[in-house]
Amino acid sequence: MSSLSRLLAIAAFGSMFLVALGLEWVARRPGSRIPPFTALCGLVMRYRVGPFPVGRVALLGFWWWLGWHFLAR
Amino acid sequence: MGARDADERGRASRAVSRPAVVLPGFALVSLVGGLFPSFSVGANVVVLVAGGALFWLGLSGRDSTSGPLRRVSPPRMSAAAGWWLLPVLVLTAVELTNLALGSTHDHPTLSGLADPLIEGYPARVAAYFGWLAAYWGLARL
Repeated sequence: MSSLSRLLAIAAFGSMFLVALGLEWVARRPGSRIPPFTALCGLVMRYRVGPFPVGRVALLGFWWWLGWHFLAR
Repeated sequence: MGARDADERGRASRAVSRPAVVLPGFALVSLVGGLFPSFSVGANVVVLVAGGALFWLGLSGRDSTSGPLRRVSPPRMSAAAGWWLLPVLVLTAVELTNLALGSTHDHPTLSGLADPLIEGYPARVAAYFGWLAAYWGLARL
């Protein structure tokens, strides 16, 4: 039997994934002011501090960490 | 001479970034990576080596998604972009809270919930491929 806290965590995760899907759907409608998730990622990827591509390092690093966290650890 | 070398390097790296080259490579890595279960040395090696190589490629620009392949994102975002903070912050907060509480059955993290789903070989191969495909999507931004 799952505890209440487990159910709440699963509900929180599930609902936020649904919210993200909903935002993406809204973003792709004509005239939407909400940018698609890819546009946000593109903005982060282009963020630099001087010559250093901070955004690119952060996002690629996060991607690498996700792979390690879900597939290897 | 310099301009011709740069042009040749650009052509070579653009060839590498084509789907016909990239996708079979990702498929191969996925088929190998899926052989190793979580917490195994093999899984760590695959993720560290493949991830490290792609991380380096992504920073060096040698994956060559520049030029016609790179989409231009808008220079500024409207305030409506703030809506994305809702799922990001809630997911992060719940994940970090449950991690701090020990990532137990009663306080599961995302990876803990995903573990039973990616136990079998086909699911692990699909997960690896999805992870690698996500890199390609990022690198093209």
